[in-house]
Amino acid sequence: MRLIGILVIVFIAAPLVIVVPMSFSDARSLQFPPPGYWLGYYRAYFSDMNWLLPTWNSILIATATTVLTMALVVPATFALVRHRFAGKSFADLMMLMPLAVPHIVMAVGYYSFLGDLRLVHTHFGVVLAHTCLSVPIAFLVLSANLKGFDRNLERAAQSLGASPVQTFIHVTLPILRPGLLISALFAFIQSFDETVVAIFISGRNAETLPRKMFDSIRQEADPVIAVISTLLFLAVLVALVAPFAWRGLRSRLAESAPRSASPAGQ
Amino acid sequence: MGATISRLSEKPNLWPWLLLAPLAIYLAIFFLVPLIDVAIMSFTEPRLSIANYQKVLTGALYQKVFLNTFMTAALVTLACLCVGYPLAYLMNASKPRTAMLILLLVTMSFWTSFLVRTYAWMVLLGNNGPIVAFLRAVGFETPPQLLFTRFSSTLAMVHILAPYMIMNIYSVMRKIDPVLIRSAESLGARGFSLFRHVYLPLTAPGIANGCVLVFVICLGFYVTPVLLGSPREQMIAGLIGHQIEEFLAFGMGSAMAMVLLAITLAILAIYHRRFGLDKLWG
Amino acid sequence: MHQYLQLNGITKTYGDFTALKKVDLTIEKGEFVTFLGPSGSGKTTTLMIIAGFEKATAGDVLVEGKSLSGLAPHERNIGIVFQNYALFPHKTAVENVYFPLQMRGVRRGEGLKKADEMLALVGLGGFGKRYPKELSGGQQQRVALARALVFEPSLLLLDEPLGALDKNLREQMQIEIKRIQRALGVTTIFVTHDQSEAMSMSDRIVVFEKGEIQQAATPLEIYHKPQTRFVAGFIGESNLVPARIGDAAANQAESTALGICDYAPTESAVTDGQDVTLLIRPEHIRLSRNPIEGRKNVRMQVETIVNYGDNALVIGKVGDLQMRVRVLGADVVIIKEGEECCISWQPEAVFVVPR
Repeated sequence: MRLIGILVIVFIAAPLVIVVPMSFSDARSLQFPPPGYWLGYYRAYFSDMNWLLPTWNSILIATATTVLTMALVVPATFALVRHRFAGKSFADLMMLMPLAVPHIVMAVGYYSFLGDLRLVHTHFGVVLAHTCLSVPIAFLVLSANLKGFDRNLERAAQSLGASPVQTFIHVTLPILRPGLLISALFAFIQSFDETVVAIFISGRNAETLPRKMFDSIRQEADPVIAVISTLLFLAVLVALVAPFAWRGLRSRLAESAPRSASPAGQ
Repeated sequence: MGATISRLSEKPNLWPWLLLAPLAIYLAIFFLVPLIDVAIMSFTEPRLSIANYQKVLTGALYQKVFLNTFMTAALVTLACLCVGYPLAYLMNASKPRTAMLILLLVTMSFWTSFLVRTYAWMVLLGNNGPIVAFLRAVGFETPPQLLFTRFSSTLAMVHILAPYMIMNIYSVMRKIDPVLIRSAESLGARGFSLFRHVYLPLTAPGIANGCVLVFVICLGFYVTPVLLGSPREQMIAGLIGHQIEEFLAFGMGSAMAMVLLAITLAILAIYHRRFGLDKLWG
Repeated sequence: MHQYLQLNGITKTYGDFTALKKVDLTIEKGEFVTFLGPSGSGKTTTLMIIAGFEKATAGDVLVEGKSLSGLAPHERNIGIVFQNYALFPHKTAVENVYFPLQMRGVRRGEGLKKADEMLALVGLGGFGKRYPKELSGGQQQRVALARALVFEPSLLLLDEPLGALDKNLREQMQIEIKRIQRALGVTTIFVTHDQSEAMSMSDRIVVFEKGEIQQAATPLEIYHKPQTRFVAGFIGESNLVPARIGDAAANQAESTALGICDYAPTESAVTDGQDVTLLIRPEHIRLSRNPIEGRKNVRMQVETIVNYGDNALVIGKVGDLQMRVRVLGADVVIIKEGEECCISWQPEAVFVVPR
């Protein structure tokens, strides 16, 4: 059992580990282990508009998608978690549907639909499509958070003299903040990583990074991909480890400093 | 309990509808209409008929692709289970620190863009890659072609989808009370019978969850089979993309998409009746 | 009597289910009143109606003669301590206590100072900068109390606030809450299902059952003169004997198991032939080998003896009737399980429960 486990760990870890040395390789094509090391492909990435533009497009599209998704999902989640009404279970189900439909099916639909609207190959078109795909993910995260929210906190606030609006601003929102942030982060990543729909509808104008990577892998297997992979990998690592590091740092600070520090900065 | 019913919900009111309306309208326009578009195109392109479906359902090429897709999805699901179950078990049985590290690795793999992971397999399995080099070193004069075969795409898909399986099974396993296992042991269950009568039934929901998820994602998988697979052994998603991109055959592409959608939804509907769809991604 | 808080015919229905039936109650200023009852008896619903989180189907709540019915919860000026404390996790203890002042437009500096003073009053001086999760259950409880009191509410409502604490802490907090309540003189309603808590803390106990008030009286009255069978059974240990009034003038009742039985003079009007319940507290019964002169004696078959060290509970049968007797630990050696013995009491120990 142990041996199988270790083999599985190697199987999972190997592809993740291999891209980092590849990005420093000086070989012209896929060769591992690399014959030599240099930073050339990093320079290539950061000076090539063919790579930087899609990166920028992706950031732009993912950001807009996140904003639009949250604007739609936050009120809807409150309605679905906090209220009971006829057709609620159907609405719950509909929220998840974009997750159930294979992306290739949506890609065909968007290709034709956005084409009719003259939105194909535009940033706006990609944002509209990505928002649909991000909705269920943001909803799942946020509704789990909202279900765990203790309504007595809001009751307490009201009994203490806070109007419904004040309650929302001073109590509901700050307590839900981590859930909202994670929900937004998931929406962002969903859009940033989404490949299939982007391949079909982003065109050259709104080309996203995954689309560019896909084309590049398909055509020439440009080693710059290893650089991007390493950078993306690093971003994930930071995102995963940062909360732990931050918590550790904070508790260490809290231990070393007396409890006189102003709580205003929290 | 009466105390938990909010004052607002006692009388029917417009609040929930008002809050829900923007998203409902948005999804209706930008999610449902495109889907309906696909349905319409499958019947009207190039002209109004059911010819597309006849071709998709009876044509030898398409049948082969559907069969190939199903076989691959089943194989990937099985492989994910074989890979995921032991690892989940190992995580559950090891010290919190070790379990934490493995979980970090799995999560990291999960969050790494699957294009990155697909690319990594390209490197690993490539003709200048370490596996071929290893095979040469142990005496294969002409190592077999690994890349751009069914093997490479299946392997990469297993790698990409295994985290779904591992996380699903692990989350169920972690909830099993160790006292339950100990009491089963005290009642005489050991080895395989302990696994068969105690562990397996208790982890079944996680297995079902993981398998449905992996299978369904695999059915519609586009990127990895296209990049790593053999052009002669396409899967449905790849063929749909091919029809649209190469031939602009929207009718055929749409008809295939509808069949793929129908199969996917049928599987999810069965799951929904049994467990509830919200559990699948929860 | 100064009627500070008045509940006038409060009724609450959910569809076909009636949670509260015409609840009438008046509470004096500064009084500590406990709502006691099993879960689902309507005590929490009544509390939520007073606080404004639930709307009564019928009836009205008045404070100093003014109706609260048109006011939203945040306009009622009522302090509440919830069962799970409901402290804001993103605010420190002192910020929690400052919150109601902040909502009332008190400036931060002044408000925090007042909050600090309030924390000191509940015995948490110096803990202000901690977050709720850095405080123990008892400390969180005190913060919740300080927060509910700092804005000088017209009424303090406590919804089973001690339920989550362990036994020792609970007793300590009972004394603490009582002390603070006396010091501030705030009119208080305390909801609990724990009768000993109700006994030890209250000026008055209101017993709820099935959405109705069974009895509202001082703890001693509730214990010694329960007005309904439910109250007699719910409060303390009891032997409830079905009987019929034989001779109301002579204070005599008849019971199948006990025969003719004298009872203590009762204030409630009973008539000959009326079916009643007789209440005899286990600690008022004496156990002996032989009958004792001047007391009502019956023979009991001893079935079970539960020893608690300082005292013991003897359970036995008088005919078909099960009886419970509390005896001092030293006395229990005189009998064994399965033996027959004599139990006796004085007429004053027998109370007629009218309903």
